[in-house]
Amino acid sequence: MGLKDAAGRLKPKLGLGDDALARRVEALEADVLELRRHNVRLAEIADVVQELLVPLASRDQARIDEAIEKFSKSL
Amino acid sequence: MVATRAGVRRVDDDGLALWGFGDRAVDVLFDGRRVWSFWLERDTRTTLPGVRSIEWPSALRKFLDGKTRLTVTEHVSGRVLYDQERAFGTADTRIEIVGRSGAPISLDKSNRISPTFDTRSRADVLPLLTAISTVLDAIASAGIDAFLAYGTLLGAIREQKFLGHDSDADLAYVSAHSHPADVVRESFRLQRAVQERGFHTYRYSGAAFRIDVKEGDGVVRGLDVFAGFIDDGVLYVMGEIAADFRRDWVYPVRTCTLEGQSFPAPAVPERWLEASYGPSWAVPDPAFQFTTSDRTVRQLSGWFRGTSTNRAAWERAYSGARGRLPTGKPSPLARKAASYLSSGGTVIDLGAGRGADSLWLARQGLSVRAYDYVPSAAQAVQQTAIDEDLDLDVRMLNLNEWRTVLAEGARMARVDGPRVMIARHTADATNRFGRQALARFASMSLRGGGRLFLDVWTGPGRTPDRLKPVPIDEVARELSAQGARILVTRERPARAGSQRSSRGRLVAQWD
Repeated sequence: MGLKDAAGRLKPKLGLGDDALARRVEALEADVLELRRHNVRLAEIADVVQELLVPLASRDQARIDEAIEKFSKSL
Repeated sequence: MVATRAGVRRVDDDGLALWGFGDRAVDVLFDGRRVWSFWLERDTRTTLPGVRSIEWPSALRKFLDGKTRLTVTEHVSGRVLYDQERAFGTADTRIEIVGRSGAPISLDKSNRISPTFDTRSRADVLPLLTAISTVLDAIASAGIDAFLAYGTLLGAIREQKFLGHDSDADLAYVSAHSHPADVVRESFRLQRAVQERGFHTYRYSGAAFRIDVKEGDGVVRGLDVFAGFIDDGVLYVMGEIAADFRRDWVYPVRTCTLEGQSFPAPAVPERWLEASYGPSWAVPDPAFQFTTSDRTVRQLSGWFRGTSTNRAAWERAYSGARGRLPTGKPSPLARKAASYLSSGGTVIDLGAGRGADSLWLARQGLSVRAYDYVPSAAQAVQQTAIDEDLDLDVRMLNLNEWRTVLAEGARMARVDGPRVMIARHTADATNRFGRQALARFASMSLRGGGRLFLDVWTGPGRTPDRLKPVPIDEVARELSAQGARILVTRERPARAGSQRSSRGRLVAQWD
């Protein structure tokens, strides 16, 4: 069952008109998209931390420069 | 619907008119070579009762000047619908549909002109086959079994060769992870494993990247690597697949033959192909179009896309000028930066484009770091800087990808001495996410007294292609959120009678 069908069934129960329901569905879709978008950003942060934090912690400037250069090249 | 006989009523400079019922793929050949395919009903429109018309695709139109033997055939049956000597335009020569390198090209399923495999010799594609083996090996060394996918798998299973109308090669794998964030991290890791083998790679999204492979005659062919994962019995593969699926239809992989070589395929390739192309996957279709459901598009886009917004448009915009040095005067922004750094320092040119300002600034004796979404646009400037021994470095920065912003921000944070960033029509060339990333990059690069000079179209009115006006206050808010002290915001309206947008100038500083 699609989201629209489900919405159609719910409509009388919620006492919503067509326009109000369309707005609710649109808002829900936007909310879901917003949550889904966190995946790439979370992965990006984890990747940066994993690839750059260890060389940065070493405080060895040459190693840090090399790590940033290598990381940038792989993007 | 039962397919009736079909035929061609008319061919002219605008396009073709055909008759017949029943949808089927039709090929158009120039001097015996397939150049374009379309579906009789899906891709045409009814112009008169019983007449279906289709225009020449724009990518093909520019070649239509001269003579050719024009043939129209049904792709599956091979039945000839039209076969005549034809003249287009005014030229007296044979029409040659070839790329810049002189290699024959034709239209792929997306109506993009490219050197499709039916134009290639075995020697031409040998480097691609070698690259596929090397990339599979690199991915295997990272613990993942990848295999042929999409059109490449279809070609191997159905014909044991590349599909003639295909234009790239595809690999895929199914992750052991079931969470999209983990799938993205794994794809990042695999790109590094491939890149370490010396390939030039290019990321499309969080779950797909491309390897550029140079073929025998210099044609660059894309080899795509798509991530997939199974969650709750549903297989998702970037960029089109969502289907009920079992892991044992994928692993352990089996082998298949492509161009005489052995490659891995999913355990039950027929299942994979059905998930990719539907139950009619075995029927050849050079004009295939995915009918991916809206929900699948929403899912895949939400999880994985958004990291290369509008990049292809910028690449196209710069492709014609590649290798040519930009001419023209430095922008007012570049002059401001130079006068601010009269005692020397570093200019970060964000959104450098072809690099005209960067080169001028470097010639004034300044250190210049030129960043752009499409760094190849400034290739000629980079080469000139090397020749003239200037301190100018062209680098890639993707404002839609945090990783580049954070890594390059860390690099710029280490630059000693006075720093200025110029961002000339960069804020209006990206989206809100990109502007926030611009502010983050500026904050990392300019902390401790660095200054930002920024120009932006503020609307209303017309702006150049690919640029969208942004209110100056919005830009100021985004920069302030990243710790900027706004020194100047100024808007200059378009001249009276001009259709142009207003222009904004902003100066900010990080203390």
